[in-house]
Amino acid sequence: MPRLVRLAVLAAVLSVSTLLTACATVQPWQRGRLASPCMQFSPDGELAAFASHWQESREGAAGGNSLQGGGCGCK
Amino acid sequence: MAASKRSGLLIAAAVAAAGMGVALVVGRPVTAQQPAEESYGISMHAFTDSRGVTVLSPSGELSRDFTTRTGLRASFGVDAISAASDSCIRCHPDGAYNARAYVNASLFRKYGDTKVSVGGEFSREQFYTATTGSTSISRTLNQANTTIAGGYAFSLNQPVLHPSEDVARQYAHSAFGTVTQTLTKGTAVQLGYEVSRITGFQNNVFLRANVDGVRMLGNHPELRLRHSITAKLRQALPGRMYLEADFRRYQDDWQVRANTWSAGLSREVSPQLTIAGVYRRHEQTGASFYRPVYTGQPEFFTADFRIFPFDADLYTGRLNFTPKQGLMAFRQGTSLTLQYEYYRNTTKFQAATVTAALRVPLKH
Repeated sequence: MPRLVRLAVLAAVLSVSTLLTACATVQPWQRGRLASPCMQFSPDGELAAFASHWQESREGAAGGNSLQGGGCGCK
Repeated sequence: MAASKRSGLLIAAAVAAAGMGVALVVGRPVTAQQPAEESYGISMHAFTDSRGVTVLSPSGELSRDFTTRTGLRASFGVDAISAASDSCIRCHPDGAYNARAYVNASLFRKYGDTKVSVGGEFSREQFYTATTGSTSISRTLNQANTTIAGGYAFSLNQPVLHPSEDVARQYAHSAFGTVTQTLTKGTAVQLGYEVSRITGFQNNVFLRANVDGVRMLGNHPELRLRHSITAKLRQALPGRMYLEADFRRYQDDWQVRANTWSAGLSREVSPQLTIAGVYRRHEQTGASFYRPVYTGQPEFFTADFRIFPFDADLYTGRLNFTPKQGLMAFRQGTSLTLQYEYYRNTTKFQAATVTAALRVPLKH
């Protein structure tokens, strides 16, 4: 990846993260629906790990599910 | 050699059992309060594909808090491959049994709004061993409306150069960062970036490329730099429904480019029952050195189907059931998840997986 693109990505992530921290605050008593398991980004670690494991054994792309283990020979 | 491999798998299984045993013993709580997420789970995954390969994967996991600030997450499992993997079946059409055993564990500790975790994973199968160490840190900000997280992992992967007994080495360094933000009472987003640097042996010893009509072991570069950027949205909708939408852009210096997006809806039918459906689309280009057939004397060549150009679709249906009075002999709060997935891609590959997972709270 060219250095310029890398810097642009880094700048974008930092900018967005800075902007997001300035968003309106949702109070704890307003989080009823946010607490639903359906709103979780990784609702079940075991299911997600199994899915990413077999998908990565078929696809060249990987990542985006936080860090994974060391892979397997089926790859 | 077969005996030594069997003993290797036994050692891995013993390590897994010991890990869980230590977790259960050490995990004796020192406070009276038990967070609701403390649980153990057992899962069974069944995988079958259009080449006749079947995989049964039983697994177990434990989530245990020692104190209100310290806890453990551990899991172990086995992939029992009844008809050899997609790679093996090319040379062993009648099947070649294989099994992969893995165990992983991570310890975390909270310091106010900051959470630090350290963990590791070990997996072993015929012709492959992988060892990973990882650490991560996260912090909540803005009255818990913002969470920033980052982590690093190192993996040592050791494939056996089957059919010889030589062992190669591959090193992988990975780092990630995410920002999770609550936008409204019903909207949350997450942005992430992950980078991996892989060095060392990266061929697949089971696949052969066609070079001037001769079947040859592929030759891949020994350096690969991988990047992925993700954006995820969770949106609560009227009628106890929820929308999930994810996007990932991936690229590496082998010139593999991929866009993967998914969208799904889930609905809380009742406090006891949730159903969900998700569609995932994956489109990727091939590696710069990919060719259907090679001529001359190419520096790099491959038969690895993972870096071919293709598109893929994945359909998922999921049901989660948490009976009021507990499930069978398990305590109140136990949930059962049933999931079906169907996958197909443009290389005429199809697969289906069925999962049954039981999660039992340690205390209710």
